[in-house]
Formats: sequence, C-alpha cells, structure tokens
Amino acid sequence: MIDLAGVRVVYGRTIALDDVTLSIGEGVTGVYGPNGSGKSTLLRVISGLFRPASGDVSFDGVPRHPADESLRRRIGYAGHEAGLYPRLTVRENLSLFAALWGAPAASVGLGPRADARVGELSSGLKRRASVARALVHQPSILLLDKPFAGLDDDAADLVTDAIKQWRAPGRTAIIATHGAKRLKSFADAGIVLRRGRVASDHARTAAGIVR
Amino acid sequence: MTLAVAEKSLGFTGKTLLLVRKDLAVEARGRETLPGMLAFAFTVTLLLAFTLPPGAAVGSAVRLGQGSVAVTEVLSGFLWVTILFAGLIGFARAFEVERTEGALEPLFLAPVDRSALFASKAASNLVTLAVVEVFLVPAFALLFSIDLGGGRWLGVVAVVLLVDIGFVMVGTLFSALAAQTRSREVMLPILALPVLVPIFIAATELTADVFAGGGLGTVAARGWFGILVASDVVFAVIGALAFEFAVDR
Repeated sequence: MIDLAGVRVVYGRTIALDDVTLSIGEGVTGVYGPNGSGKSTLLRVISGLFRPASGDVSFDGVPRHPADESLRRRIGYAGHEAGLYPRLTVRENLSLFAALWGAPAASVGLGPRADARVGELSSGLKRRASVARALVHQPSILLLDKPFAGLDDDAADLVTDAIKQWRAPGRTAIIATHGAKRLKSFADAGIVLRRGRVASDHARTAAGIVR
Repeated sequence: MTLAVAEKSLGFTGKTLLLVRKDLAVEARGRETLPGMLAFAFTVTLLLAFTLPPGAAVGSAVRLGQGSVAVTEVLSGFLWVTILFAGLIGFARAFEVERTEGALEPLFLAPVDRSALFASKAASNLVTLAVVEVFLVPAFALLFSIDLGGGRWLGVVAVVLLVDIGFVMVGTLFSALAAQTRSREVMLPILALPVLVPIFIAATELTADVFAGGGLGTVAARGWFGILVASDVVFAVIGALAFEFAVDR
C-alpha cells in the first residue's frame, strides 16, 4: 500500500500538488486529469525524484527515505520522455541499466528491433523500450507517466501488452494519462486530479469503477 | 564503438567506468561535441596567428600600450584562452545527451552514487578535452615555432594535466547546474568563468615558463604549480560533494 498524507509540492509560485492525501493499493491505478493537474508531479513524488515541500509518502506504512535503496529497488519509473540514450541500441540501453541495478540483462521483447538504436525507433517501440527499461530490475511498483501519449492504437497496444504481462498479484502500477478510455478498460482504480488536488478517488468493483 | 556490458554486480568504480564508456560510445556515434570543440580551437588558433606583428618570435617581445610583453607570455595566453572556450563548448553539452530524452531520471533512481555520476561525467569531459589538446598543442607549437624538445614537453604535459583536472571538475559541476536552467548555454560561462580564473592564470604563467625554455623542474618549483595541485584537490572534493545538490530537485 502506498500512502500519501498532506503532500504539497510548489514550483516557484505554482502549487503543483496541494494537500494530496491518498492510498493506493495493488493492481493498476489510473491517474487522470487535464494538463497541469499534477499527474506527473504525483508520480515523481512517489518515485522519489521530487521531494515534497510538506507531507509524507509511505510504503506499507514505512515512510520514504531518499537513501532507502531497498525501497528504490521496488520502484520502476518511466517518465513521459523515454529515459533512454538515442545513440545506443535498445539492447545496450537495457544492459546498461540492468548493470547499474545489478540485475541480469532482461529480454527486450522487441524482436529484431532490439538491436536498433533507440533514436531510430517509432514512438510506440520507443515507449515499449522505455517500459522495458523501467522493469529491468523487476520492481513491484511501476510508475508510468503518459505511456500512451501520441501513440496510435497499434503502438498503444504494444505498451498495454507490456503492462498486462507485468501485472501480477502483489504488484502495483500507477499510470498517469490524459485519455482515460484505454486505461479504464483494465485499471482497478482511478484518481482524478484537478489543479493539484484530488477531485475524486475511486475503486473498481464488479459493477465498474465507483466512488 | 560497442557498449558490451558484463553481467556482474558492479561497485562504485565499475559503475563509474560503465557510465564513462557509455558517454564515449554515445560521442563516438553522434560526434556532436568533439568536432565543434576542434573546429573552434583550430579556427581561433589560426586567427590568433595573424594578430602577432611580423617578426614576433619566441624570445622577443611585442609592444603593448606604453610597454612591452614577452611573446612567450602572449602565446601562453593564446593557448589557454583557446582551451578555456573550447572546453566550455564541450562542457555545455555534457548533460545534453541525458537531458534530451530524460535519461537523468532513471539514472537518479538507479542505485548509483551521485559522486559516481559526477566522476563519470568529469572523466568523459577529461577524455574529450584531452583529445582536443593532443591535436591542438603540437599544432600550436608548430604554428608559432615553439620548441618543445629537450624535455620541455614534459613541462607542458604536466601543466595541461593539472589544469585539465581542475577545469573539468568545475566545468562538470556547473554544467550540471546550468542543465537545470532554461538559459543553460549562458549560465555555464557565467557560473564557471569566475571560479576558473585562478586556474587559468596559473596555467598561463607556467606555460609561459615552458615556452621560454623551462622544463618540468622549472614549473614544479613555482608557486603557481602548487596552486594548481591544490585547486585540483579542492574542486574534486567540492564537485563530488556539491553535485548531488546541483542535480537535486
């Protein structure tokens, strides 16, 4: 369980997150909202990339500490940029990050395109490679920031398949997106942010997503 | 240049070396930094060659205002101004490869010590700068008829090495800071140049000695040499410690 209590993030004069209190359980949770609503910031705070001005983030009741490596190992993060080196091949990128994590080199899952340079890939394959990079150390928490942005249906399917393959009991995925349609088809819960505040927080039941 | 990665657990040095290899592989394939530095260095050197009055040679002096200055000192200044700005061109791009595709974030989340990230970037910058100097210094000596024989080249190598270490430490730290800002190209020289002044004054003084006929023993005996050594140690420590704060959000 990931808990945020009174989290506030400020960039200069802009309040990106304002008193956000949430609990996110296992399964896939969608984070929805318009541009500037705080979705990316929320993921970055959970990942540890941003330190909130106030408030706490805890994992299974244990407060996050920036130097806590065991906690970092539980988290895989793919931002809205690929987080890969365009001049290196997909395989080289994944080997690089696997070596840094001390993990065995993961299977790429891109067929012959695994030996193509990332800069030569289509947007969909690049996003698929980005998710593979986030999963290289087998995290139990996956944070994806707008993984379907700018992708056509076929490319978005590639990313969706990667998430579904990774999904398993005890694992948590938090996915920020503009377009709720694709994600709602397999998300277990949803959070709507507006102007840095939680507008609604709901979980899926047999009858659908309800508050 | 391929980036073959062995499947074994890496420590601080292993991760640092891996990141250096990554940077060099990226530069070898993209050639986005080194050609610009070389083009700048050789163009400026050529232009400076035309600024000296006819007949000015090592051992003579040129008029400057009411007095005169030894040609060796002028040439030493030329060399280091060229290296200074060529280096800044390279450092400005040091984090560009990570910034464009957001690769810094996964690096920050990976279990890699921030000082290893700093050390790897500094080492990559050092290699790039050294490549420029390997071509520039002999060409400079040839163009200005500077005799670096008889062991004087050892003096030049020592000074260049000491200057480079301090220079890349400062340049890497401030390029990381500047990379966080929108006006990064402007910020790097604004931040770095004031700090680099003592290093480059020492460099100019010591290199003038070598151009005037001194060897390694001559430069090692001067106070400026000690200042360079001390600067390297201080900037290496500050860089490794401050890098985390430079990139922290």
